[in-house]
Amino acid sequence: MAHDSHDSHEYIPEIAVDRNGKEHVVQGWQGDTYGGKLGFWLFMLTEVMMFGSMFMVLSYYFTLHHQDFINASAGLDRVLGGINTVVLLISALTMGLGLLRMRSGDVKGAKLMIWATMLLALIFLGVKAVEWTNDYKEGIFLGLQALQSGNEHSLPFGEILYFGMYFTMTGLHGFHIIIGIGLMLWLLKRINSGKVTPEHNILHFNIALYWDLVHLIWVFVFPYFYMIGAGGAIHG
Amino acid sequence: MANHTTVDYKAEKGGYYKVLFGLLALTALTFIQPSMFLTHYTFGMQMLIGTVKAWIILMYYMHLKGEVLIGWTVIFAVFLVVFFFAIVMIDVNNFQFADVSHITSPAQ
Repeated sequence: MAHDSHDSHEYIPEIAVDRNGKEHVVQGWQGDTYGGKLGFWLFMLTEVMMFGSMFMVLSYYFTLHHQDFINASAGLDRVLGGINTVVLLISALTMGLGLLRMRSGDVKGAKLMIWATMLLALIFLGVKAVEWTNDYKEGIFLGLQALQSGNEHSLPFGEILYFGMYFTMTGLHGFHIIIGIGLMLWLLKRINSGKVTPEHNILHFNIALYWDLVHLIWVFVFPYFYMIGAGGAIHG
Repeated sequence: MANHTTVDYKAEKGGYYKVLFGLLALTALTFIQPSMFLTHYTFGMQMLIGTVKAWIILMYYMHLKGEVLIGWTVIFAVFLVVFFFAIVMIDVNNFQFADVSHITSPAQ
């Protein structure tokens, strides 16, 4: 693999010589757009399987404690959850438009869209922080007595399982949002140093894919936790 | 091989906005469904709406439309998850270990 010390992002093909002395260009990974895309999809499928397993556990518990899940869901703040759904939806648009601008040669516009996506990601985290703080004030948080069985403050057993999964899955999703912000900062750095360009945009493409995956997971997390109890709780 | 696909931003951004409005409409449907229609099937309806939203995101935002190899890879992975999901659901419907389980109420 050849490198130019002044312009390391520029793809300079390696030449291999066969036994007859004929030269062949070796396909380098830098320019392998399809390989880069396929590899990233394989990574994303491991994410799908991880979250898929969690949804499986959630469904298992839901089947065993149907009414407790509906009662617990009825107590969640659907307004804040809904705001976050719309915020994430718009962020998927800005990310997509950023990639489109990059591919059309508008690097400055692409960077602006990435910043907009990051801002929306921070808003999402802020809303989530408000929501979790409200839950904590109401005595519902990991480690608090309400979510531990066998004491006078304990919630019904199914609700303990529900909130355990709620904090685990929305927390893991939030962690993916934080990772996404880090990736976008890295992408901006690569764009500024000229290593991601309108001609070589696979990194931008894959980070946009990652962001869509984060959005996709929320598309199921939101109704599963917030909406199943929207018809109202039935107590007693 | 560089990603030389050149695009016309003004011509293609309209598609992104159409998808946004479609997803916003489905999100609105998510909110009104539990009180407006098929109220006894909220869980199923919510998952159905979510699946339609996911399909739109995969096809248009994640550019799976026209991707044969990656498309089949995704279908295979989703099939695996759904397959194990079905096995687990059959198992849970015949749950026999309530007395010794840590996932059922101690009172059961």
